[in-house]
Amino acid sequence: MGAQQNKTLSHPPIARATLFAAFLKIGLLGFGGVMPWARRVLVDERAWLSDREFAELIGMCQVLPGPNVVNLSVILGSRWQGPIGSLLALTGILFVPVIAVLILATFYASVAHAPIARSAIAGASAAAAGLIIGTAIRLITGSRPPLRALLLATAVFVAVGIAQAPLLWVLAVAVPLAIAVEWRAPR
Amino acid sequence: MNASFDVLFEIAWRFASLSLLAIGGINALLPEIHRIVVDVEGWMTSAEFADLFALAQLAPGPNAMVVSLLGWKVAGIAGAFVATIAACGPSSLVSYFAVRALERLRDGSIRGILQRALAPVAIGLVLAIGYTLARAADRSVGAVLLTVASAAAIAGTRVNPIWILAAAAIAGVAGVA
Repeated sequence: MGAQQNKTLSHPPIARATLFAAFLKIGLLGFGGVMPWARRVLVDERAWLSDREFAELIGMCQVLPGPNVVNLSVILGSRWQGPIGSLLALTGILFVPVIAVLILATFYASVAHAPIARSAIAGASAAAAGLIIGTAIRLITGSRPPLRALLLATAVFVAVGIAQAPLLWVLAVAVPLAIAVEWRAPR
Repeated sequence: MNASFDVLFEIAWRFASLSLLAIGGINALLPEIHRIVVDVEGWMTSAEFADLFALAQLAPGPNAMVVSLLGWKVAGIAGAFVATIAACGPSSLVSYFAVRALERLRDGSIRGILQRALAPVAIGLVLAIGYTLARAADRSVGAVLLTVASAAAIAGTRVNPIWILAAAAIAGVAGVA
């Protein structure tokens, strides 16, 4: 068990500048949602996390208050570089993009209502939804969850996505259920 | 915009008091934020709120940055940063200390059970977010095809998402979406 827990430490230590650069990239490229970019940079490009670790962390972020990707940067920053790491990751994923968004906002009103911009935005929005769906599929194929986990993921998807049930209620049912099932599951 | 200290203070406590309630992210709180910003404080109209929300979805960075834009609308750049820090600060501190405590747990099996239990919940939620966004964005057969193609490209290849978004924007201009 001990060796398995330390699997996240199998890569060399992550320098502060590298940490900041990675989260800055996630923040600045995160058009249409940051999650697909977070998975791409952390799992595919840097190989700092496996698909399974990424899914586990996102799960943790869901039950904690606050935006998921903001929590993700706080948690990973702290894991790799302590409190300074959290601040660096937060600055990269949140504060620098805020400045970019304010610049965009200044021009938005004049540009957004032009027909050509609306058509481009419609196309990009459709693809952005696909990026998130594809990321979820990637997390499943990459982490190879057991059948019980697949059933739970499907139930959560149906409840929140299709039935549009309130998120808090779904979490209140699904999280204790998932913990109870994992508790009893053979390992 | 001249942001008086009073307005900044108002923004700070309004968003800070919501921060710890944002389980599952800021989107879960949008109706409440709308109520406070539009109905209670009268800082903007409902249409202005909707425009800022759309911009936050489109722009780079976390979608939670809708909070920064709301603060900016009320009190300029200072308002943007005050709102962002107020909305994300308390929740970030809780996450920081909660996960530190969890990672110090001597009994790794409890942590392992928790992590393995939460992963499928997260995957189901990510899928639900994508599906909800697709339902809002896909108003034509062409748009549905763009969503499906984009999902397939991300799931099956390592192509950079920026090219997928760029190609889809061009397809949109060409009349596909």
